[in-house]
Amino acid sequence: MLAEIGVVALGLAFIASMYAIVAAIYGGRTHQERWVISARNAAIATFPLMLIACLVLVIALMNGEYQINYVRATTDPSTPDFYRFTALWGSQEGSLLFWSSIMSLFAMLAMLINWHNERRLMPYVIAYSMATLAFFLFLSLFLENPFERVWLTLGEDGQTRVVDSLFIPPNAFPPTLESLAADARGLNPLLRHFGMIIHPPMLYLGFVGFTIPFAFAMAALASGDLSTNWIKATRRWTLVAWLFLSLGLILGGRWAYDVLGWGGYWGWDPVENAAFLPWLIGTAFLHSVMIQEKRGMLKVWNMFLIIGTFSAVMFGTFATRSGLIESVHSFARSEIGLPMFIFWAGITLVSVSMIIWRWNRGELQDEHHFAGWFSRETMFVLNNIVFIVLAVAIFWGSFGAPIISELFAGEEITLGTDYFMRVTPPLFALMYILMGVAPISAWGATSINRMGRAMVIPLMLTFLTLVLIVLLGTRHLVALVAYGVVSLAGWVAVYETYRGMMARVRTRHENPLVALIALFTRNRRRYGGYIVHLGIVVIGIGIIGSTLFQIERQGLILRGETLQINDEYALRFDDFTVAQANDGRIMDIATVTVIRNNKEIAQLQPRIDQFPSMPMSIAGAHSTLENDFYVLLVPWENISAESAIFKVYINPLVNLVWWGGLILILGTIISVYPNDKIPVRVRSTVQPQLATGAAWGD
Amino acid sequence: MAQATWEKQAAGLEYEKIIKKKSTNWKFLVGGGLILASVLYLIISSTISGASYFITVEDLLANPEYVGQRVRISGAVLGHTIEYDSENLILDFTISHIPDEYDNLAEALHQSVNDPTMAQIPVHIENQVKPDLLRHEAQAIVTGYLGEDGVFYASELNLKCPSRFDDGSSSQNLADDVDHSEEYADYAG
Repeated sequence: MLAEIGVVALGLAFIASMYAIVAAIYGGRTHQERWVISARNAAIATFPLMLIACLVLVIALMNGEYQINYVRATTDPSTPDFYRFTALWGSQEGSLLFWSSIMSLFAMLAMLINWHNERRLMPYVIAYSMATLAFFLFLSLFLENPFERVWLTLGEDGQTRVVDSLFIPPNAFPPTLESLAADARGLNPLLRHFGMIIHPPMLYLGFVGFTIPFAFAMAALASGDLSTNWIKATRRWTLVAWLFLSLGLILGGRWAYDVLGWGGYWGWDPVENAAFLPWLIGTAFLHSVMIQEKRGMLKVWNMFLIIGTFSAVMFGTFATRSGLIESVHSFARSEIGLPMFIFWAGITLVSVSMIIWRWNRGELQDEHHFAGWFSRETMFVLNNIVFIVLAVAIFWGSFGAPIISELFAGEEITLGTDYFMRVTPPLFALMYILMGVAPISAWGATSINRMGRAMVIPLMLTFLTLVLIVLLGTRHLVALVAYGVVSLAGWVAVYETYRGMMARVRTRHENPLVALIALFTRNRRRYGGYIVHLGIVVIGIGIIGSTLFQIERQGLILRGETLQINDEYALRFDDFTVAQANDGRIMDIATVTVIRNNKEIAQLQPRIDQFPSMPMSIAGAHSTLENDFYVLLVPWENISAESAIFKVYINPLVNLVWWGGLILILGTIISVYPNDKIPVRVRSTVQPQLATGAAWGD
Repeated sequence: MAQATWEKQAAGLEYEKIIKKKSTNWKFLVGGGLILASVLYLIISSTISGASYFITVEDLLANPEYVGQRVRISGAVLGHTIEYDSENLILDFTISHIPDEYDNLAEALHQSVNDPTMAQIPVHIENQVKPDLLRHEAQAIVTGYLGEDGVFYASELNLKCPSRFDDGSSSQNLADDVDHSEEYADYAG
């Protein structure tokens, strides 16, 4: 019964979304508001329906309804409740369902938040967002149904056959409860980690979030309202999507660092890169829409950027799960490969044709030209180029080169970490340089002298920082250059905020703290943006330190003995115990002491968990802002109380990566937080003719 | 007369404007060209230095020209061949050929390890903690070179263990467990 409710809810949501597309377009073209309102109501109705479908799957997972294939594939009788719940997005079918639910939630929110201000855009926003939703629901219903169950049928030869089906086939019966439970697989032990539990939802929230600005951009093209309305309406959507995507990426890194046990957090793996691509293009978009808002430039470019972000989102959602990474051929064979490609190609074709159509009619003309090399707009364009080149280079390395060589040369060429470590550092350095220079430049023309003057103090602070770093013992030239470039961007952000604060102190005689708070409340986007820059700077410092100065050492230690790691650090093996966790897995636990300059600074317990399916090493780490002392108990046959082998990584500054992430989140929240403004209702009573006049047109 | 002068002046201004616009466009074009050229250089040179052919075990053994060249191969791990010197972190194991094209990775791996006629190659990798995923029937993707001695010296090791649920179908075990199918006849009817 449960599974049937899920399927029906899913089917109704699909019908509602299809109806919403047709009604919205019809209402929009014929200017019949009742059709548009009906479309909106259908679009909003998809959310409760999707909520029911998700709840049904969660109930099935919590109750162990193992006849549902998805439940059997992601949980088993020993799975704790927490992981039963999170199994909702643990595998393909569930995560597609979850994706659609977020999509319907975001579409509903867009209807509720943006309905009154953007009436002219709304019919097409409904059409585009519901087309995306309908496509995902189509996949869930017909190709990757999470409610599919297993049945047994008796053949004419008396043999029992296993049949997968949504509804009960004729003469079929369910397998025994015992055999179903025994057949259950459970969640891969590698995925049982906090970071892995919330990393997929964060990524999905980011992915889905970007489809809303995309729908608005396409609505602007379709409706002919090509003012900056669509950008203003979606600024917060874009920032929120960007925030979640950033969080998803950082949490994924944290998971890799804690669980995979190779002392790193980013391996340039195709799966990681696929999630990084929308972030890069989305970041370019985030910056370049500001040029359109302020100067009315880059209208076509922004359209292409949002289409690019949407394409990268589609690619990120599918590339990782449809076999594209293994080979083009397995992608072509996978069930969702072809539909995904058709959907993506169709949407892109329609969008690009609409851009060309509007452009030919002269409706996407830029209102200003570039004023000079050092204007803010030029800086933003250069920033865009860097982000797009990064995206292209990373796409080429992970997907382009292997796919093209396999298709056209018959032999697959792969590019390893070497490629990424060569291509990306100069581009990231450029990104940080622009991040340092751009905030100082002004819209329109900026003279080089004025910029030079504004740079003096940040440059001096950067110089002092470098002197400090050299005094602390770093002589590595590449590292010094990298630290210099990154910290300049940081000092510029700090100094520009300071200047803004001091200007208020001087002109309004406020005390500095009041001035600082006022600065942030008056111009949240700008100063929140500076905090985001600061977060990216802190992350950059962490990456430079942990990449260039990682220390790696391993060795066998007898119990009570000490292994010298370097001049400063040593590791003592104290004890070894075997324990059993409540879910039945055996844990081999070593107790070790970290010694620095002959002083005991921490006791750690690296361990190996013996899951039935595989062993899993869990590192012990002593974390400070200065570094992480990261110890792995190395699995080997003769692990014993008398001797064990340890692998040690000392990762300098690695924790700055996570702290930088927190700063970035704070900065984005400040940027997103609404400014104080007149409520919509008041405005529409003040200017009734304006409110109604803008509603319909075309 | 006055009007003509005025027109002439206006035309002159317009002309200057065009010149100015053209020269800025030209500057941006050169700048853009330089950026594009350096980006292309960066990507192409890194592609050449970082590229390795992704080939099968059979290809590697059949073509002597690959000896000593950096390649990437994928194969099925034979569990009984895994040897691990945990003191020096040296890992040895043998992988067996997986065909270029398959419908289901788990099945291809299973067939490969059970077929003694499949081409096999010993892999040697140093300074490597034994990964948790290294076990019988796992897919190993290794990057390195084939030595004169017939051993593949790897510098990079990636592992994948597909579960049999990946293709979404149910296991035949469910039916094997049913001894008294008749008991369910009532339920189905």
